[in-house]
Amino acid sequence: MSNHQAEFSEFFQASWEPCLRAVVAVVGSPQLAEDQVAEAFTKAWMSWRTVSHHPAPRAWVVRTALNTGASWWRRRGRELPLAGHDVAAPGELASGLDATLLTAIWRLPRRQREVIALRIFLDLDTDTIARLMKIEAGTVRMHLSRGVAALRRELTPNETTEASR
Amino acid sequence: MNVHDEMSDADVLRAAAGSLSKIPMPGAPDTAAIITTGRARRRRRMTGVMAGTAAVTVVVLGLSGAFAATSHQPSGATRHQPTHRGHAQLAAWTVTKLADGNISVRINQFKDPAGLQRTLRADGVRASVTFASQRNPACRPYPGGTPAPGSVPPSPLRPSTLLKQVFPQPYRQLGPPPGAGPAQMVKAGPPARPPSGNRTVIVIDPSALPRNAGVQLATNGAAASLRLPVVVYASPRCTGS
Repeated sequence: MSNHQAEFSEFFQASWEPCLRAVVAVVGSPQLAEDQVAEAFTKAWMSWRTVSHHPAPRAWVVRTALNTGASWWRRRGRELPLAGHDVAAPGELASGLDATLLTAIWRLPRRQREVIALRIFLDLDTDTIARLMKIEAGTVRMHLSRGVAALRRELTPNETTEASR
Repeated sequence: MNVHDEMSDADVLRAAAGSLSKIPMPGAPDTAAIITTGRARRRRRMTGVMAGTAAVTVVVLGLSGAFAATSHQPSGATRHQPTHRGHAQLAAWTVTKLADGNISVRINQFKDPAGLQRTLRADGVRASVTFASQRNPACRPYPGGTPAPGSVPPSPLRPSTLLKQVFPQPYRQLGPPPGAGPAQMVKAGPPARPPSGNRTVIVIDPSALPRNAGVQLATNGAAASLRLPVVVYASPRCTGS
């Protein structure tokens, strides 16, 4: 195995899960996310000389995965991976507060989900997220603030009542 | 007391991370599969560039006769002779003609897609089968031939009537159960390396296919599991006929 290949292999093994989780946080489906992330890693390998020098290669993968998903939607309409031929209730993914929170996350506008996913799973700061998403840092802060506020409402449903006392 | 004081932004993000981290994730595919796919694509890209360069050169040199002679290639084994009646079995997949006229496709390994495509054609189903990372780009989705997207992820599967008719399995089993809310989703698919016994079965009703349509069977990005089958327009470049 060449150094080039070994380096990519190490990056792939260490980055698969955080990248996949970040994409799941945005697209909502582990299976769709798996397809998109696998495609993004394939593209990363094809351009490894460039990607390996990227300031945030994991973020490159996540961004590419999300763009790939959007591109698939545009080109082919929705296609989903063939799975166990049955449907799982949300409770099978999570239960209690986790299920509530997941539903709340996936109801956020996409930009808010993206910003939160990049912050949580790739630990990126506001400026890096802004460069990656090609938006202003202030816009990133706004998306983050609104997203967090919406999630907080789910975590503390009696907040309004409490605060108005 | 302000409740905001009790839960900072960092706390909220930690809670979100905790919930997201509990979702079971598919394991990483084999690095070698990613690398092999990438190399194959690079080769195809290079071949395309070289072919394009060669074609331009030929045109520039005015060798149109030579170009016509070398660019013409047979479209492949389109004249398939049926070699089985009712049941054909190979190591990688099994195609069975059921008593009700439906075709059952059981896939054990993602091998010999061309053979599967020919076998389905012999049974009256025009098909595009690809077990690579990329589906056949020449195929165009047939109206109603792909599941409709949901508005809120995780999206519910909303298979059309056409899909339910053409693919009694899996689509009739995929609809949301009665009273289900919008947050339905498909369970995790087969593992990256499906062990023997963990097989994918698709049932096709050839009589439900419109005259100008075929089916598309393809694997996902890492060639690790099968995508939901879809209905596409039949064409020489997509389904071979």
